[in-house]
Amino acid sequence: MNDLLFFLLSFFALFGAFGMIVLHQPVHSALSLIVTLLALAGLFALLNASFLFAVQIIVYAGAILTLFIFIIMFLNVKESNLPKEPNKTLYLFLGGIVLIPLNLLVLRAFYAMPLLREPLAEDFGEIQPLGAALFTKWLLPFELISLLLLVALIGAVVFARKDEV
Amino acid sequence: MSGLAIGIVVLNVVLALLFSLGAAPILVWIERRVAGLIQDRLGPNRCHIAGVRLGGLVQSLADMLKLFFKEDFRANAIREKFLFSFAPVIVFVSAFLSFMVMPFADDIYVGSERFIMQGLPIDLGVLWFLALAGLSVYGIMIGGWASRNKYALLGAMRSGAQVISYEAAMGLSLISVLLCYPSVQLGDIVRAQGELLGGVLPAWGIFLQPLAALIFIVTAFAEANRTPFDLAEGESEIVGGFHTEYGAMRFGLFFVGEYVAMSASSALIVTLFFGGFQLPYLDTQTLHVKMPLILGALVFLVPLGSFSFIRWMRKHNRWRVQNDPRSRESAWLTKVIVGLNVVFLLGAGYGLIVGLSSFSTQFVTALLQVATFAFKLLAMNFVFVWVRWTLPRFRYDQLQMLGWKVLMPLALVNIVVTASVIVLKGA
Repeated sequence: MNDLLFFLLSFFALFGAFGMIVLHQPVHSALSLIVTLLALAGLFALLNASFLFAVQIIVYAGAILTLFIFIIMFLNVKESNLPKEPNKTLYLFLGGIVLIPLNLLVLRAFYAMPLLREPLAEDFGEIQPLGAALFTKWLLPFELISLLLLVALIGAVVFARKDEV
Repeated sequence: MSGLAIGIVVLNVVLALLFSLGAAPILVWIERRVAGLIQDRLGPNRCHIAGVRLGGLVQSLADMLKLFFKEDFRANAIREKFLFSFAPVIVFVSAFLSFMVMPFADDIYVGSERFIMQGLPIDLGVLWFLALAGLSVYGIMIGGWASRNKYALLGAMRSGAQVISYEAAMGLSLISVLLCYPSVQLGDIVRAQGELLGGVLPAWGIFLQPLAALIFIVTAFAEANRTPFDLAEGESEIVGGFHTEYGAMRFGLFFVGEYVAMSASSALIVTLFFGGFQLPYLDTQTLHVKMPLILGALVFLVPLGSFSFIRWMRKHNRWRVQNDPRSRESAWLTKVIVGLNVVFLLGAGYGLIVGLSSFSTQFVTALLQVATFAFKLLAMNFVFVWVRWTLPRFRYDQLQMLGWKVLMPLALVNIVVTASVIVLKGA
């Protein structure tokens, strides 16, 4: 059962990612990306990371992609104004070949990782132990990342604001 | 799994279906009759099956049949056929699924096995609701975009912008609630609300977090696309908004999805701020201990209530034409109510005389709590309907102003205040 779900979800994740690159219409690409993100959320759930599952859907699928689609629909680009992509298939194929060494590297790194043999704790991936770990063991990185996000937020406001003041 | 365990799981699924799907016709009925009440008219009340009108509830069934058998029309200009048909499904499914984490009653124990009384046994609670509320807007946006119609696109854009901005305030107002009841699991939150504040008030969210309750209720209205925030279908400006091009059952799914979403929002409001399934002053423990006493009281109260209801019905539920089957409805309903009372009295009498086992005590407690939850849910849904027929629609810039400049800062202040109080109390 778990294997079947894993294969189904991975299929949808890959399918969505592939569709995002191949599809011509921007709205279709964005919708295809949603499929990938939802499938990834499902994979998190399969790994017992229920909090990550929820956050993946709330933040990526629910908020960020909504904004993407909102902007794309707002611009409402006409079919004739979309760029023509004549040799798209060829470029995709060549790009895929160029990326093979990188993929091999990632695969090697993956197989070099030590296997986890001990059984995980009962409450692994739940919200309470995750929060406790973030605010005790990983406090400094957590605060640094929130600082980074704050800087990005203020940057966005500064860029978006008009220069009339 | 034993037979009892399977029974409890089936009961949960049936309850979840009843509260979400079964609520839709009832809510449509409430909407119309309350609209009639507020506009000083009767509302639909004549439709009947063999004379049974149930105050107009049968009209909802007739409407459902109408939507079902209407011509499945789609304009030729629509190119995105798949997305056009898929959009209502997204709205409906996400509204339906978001209902699945609402606890209807306290946990039931069979031996040492614990059963969570909700549609799906997942403990994500609030997070699950937020995730699905975020997904449901895709249905509206895709539907509006795929319609290839300027009004529909405008409606979709409005809805998208509205949900994004109100989701921020909604999430922030939830944080202070979660600080108060340190759990995201709705069952835990409701159990915490069974206690008393200073021995007088029940510890409901609305007393502990009045500001968060206000913000959450306002944002829930916006998330459910209900008036005063229903600009996505503002018929005075953009015809039908996102569903302009929709008809028949495709529209029907949007329509039912809207009511299920409204019911799910009410369920979450009730669960977070109005004590969920808790009867005030009677938590699960007390109910378990005093069950014979409560059952004894009910043996007197239920027939008394039924009797006064029958008298009220005989006086008001009349049909002036003699030979119409509808003129016999009151007599027929009287028989049904009397029969139900007899069944109840037999069951309760048997329980009282033979004595209640541990499981049947739990079961009766669960039934009482489900009834409490259903009552609160209906009351909250009534508030949704009441507001719809009382308040006018917002202007679009006012809506965004309210979301970003009023609700969001208030929610942030509320978080800081709540957190400080909790830290000070802990120290």
